Amino acid sequence: MSMTQELLKARTSLENNLRELLGIPVFLIEMDAFALPCGCGGVTINTRGLQLDDLEIFEEHILKYLTDTVTSLEIEPSFLFARLIPGTAEVASINARILCSSCYMDFGRGSGKQPRPDIYIMRFDRRE
Amino acid sequence: MKLYVPHVGHFEGLEELLNGSDNIYAVYMAGSPDYIGTGRTNLSAPKLDEIAEQTEYAHSKGVKMEVVLNSSCMGGQQLTPEGYRAIDWYFDKLNTIGIDSITVADPYIVEMLAKDYDMDVVVSVLSFVDTPQKAEFYEQLGATTIVVDPAVNRHFDKLEAIRDTVSCKLKLLVNEACLYQCPFRYAHFNFFSHANGPGPKPNVLDDYYYYKCLSLRIKDPQQIIKSPWIRPEDLKEYKHITDTFKIGGRTHFVNWILNNVEAYANERYDGNLMDLLDSIKDLKDTFYIPNSELDGAIEQWKKCDKVCHKCGYCKRLAEKAIYTYSGSGDDIRKIPLGPVGDRK
Ligand SMILES: [Zn+2]
Ligand SMILES: [Zn+2]
Repeated sequence: MSMTQELLKARTSLENNLRELLGIPVFLIEMDAFALPCGCGGVTINTRGLQLDDLEIFEEHILKYLTDTVTSLEIEPSFLFARLIPGTAEVASINARILCSSCYMDFGRGSGKQPRPDIYIMRFDRRE
Repeated sequence: MKLYVPHVGHFEGLEELLNGSDNIYAVYMAGSPDYIGTGRTNLSAPKLDEIAEQTEYAHSKGVKMEVVLNSSCMGGQQLTPEGYRAIDWYFDKLNTIGIDSITVADPYIVEMLAKDYDMDVVVSVLSFVDTPQKAEFYEQLGATTIVVDPAVNRHFDKLEAIRDTVSCKLKLLVNEACLYQCPFRYAHFNFFSHANGPGPKPNVLDDYYYYKCLSLRIKDPQQIIKSPWIRPEDLKEYKHITDTFKIGGRTHFVNWILNNVEAYANERYDGNLMDLLDSIKDLKDTFYIPNSELDGAIEQWKKCDKVCHKCGYCKRLAEKAIYTYSGSGDDIRKIPLGPVGDRK
């Protein structure tokens, strides 16, 4: 399967899983693979209709679906987070990122789930 | 030295920040955009109870709390009876919480704050105070502190004239890194003020001013050198103007903020100057500028009359001190910029 076909398939199946889980028509309006100059790479999934509450209540399930999705794309599921629209409970995107060493320090320095008010961490594997 | 340090606006962030450094005199953060917005991007919109909790915590650590409400444009709402009442109500709450100072940009709000509340009134960089005359007007309106427009950070004659003219406190913003004499500045801050204010908010997808600002620098990297940032090593040159400095960057990670705090507190930074600059952080993986290469440049800037096409100093410095990155992650090389004259 080509990379675009894999992305298309992964987007659809994650959206279906979230809709079934939450009982609302959540939209995953765009799923993008990215590569940054610092060395980070991964996927960003822009969402509509998903709220911070949903993540907090169904975190275990959402984390599992997201992990399955990114694993299917051969992305190591060691850093998964949501980006919130500042000052609101709206989830703008959910993200899987393979961190470069410098960004690892940025995200890893804090201890809580929200190193910045616009970021909600679902999974962050600390390195040795 | 008194360092004013950005705070992203949630309790965990404040804890991390204040536990991370003893060199913080005050923190500043945005308030709720429902009353007065701010002229910058924000990552949070703390509610009154959150502001109260964070203020109490900052005070318990001996750190002052400043709330930034520096919309450069409110579309006239502040002058309507409803607008006035809403702002007045919000100021009253912040006053009760015990906020130490409020940063504002609108002259009307400067006067309103000075008249009725105990909080120190800080005139924002977005009031563009760049002359002794403007400073005098704001002092007369009731300003306790003026944050001088960074556009004159390298005009020592203007800074000294402002210092001589007013008796209120002065603060200098050290790392904003806007383009020198930027044509976008007013329009950009007005746009942010509406996007981060009470509304109606414009439904804008891409920020023209920001993209333009970045592409101008990529085409002509000497613009990065001309930006009126102040190097940590050069703070000593400003001590006769003020002992109070503000670090910009409330959309960055605590890590990034603390790196800046340590650099400016120690008046020394060994690394890429781009690490310290706020508004062009997106170019930090594009350009490498060893900070030590800039030693002594301040001597030129102190006497320079800013007629760049005659002087050419910043252009030559850019050619010598700026490198571009090639590759990514661990597989990365630094390539000297070389002559920049023909790139426009
Ligand atoms: Zn990275
Ligand atoms: Zn306007």
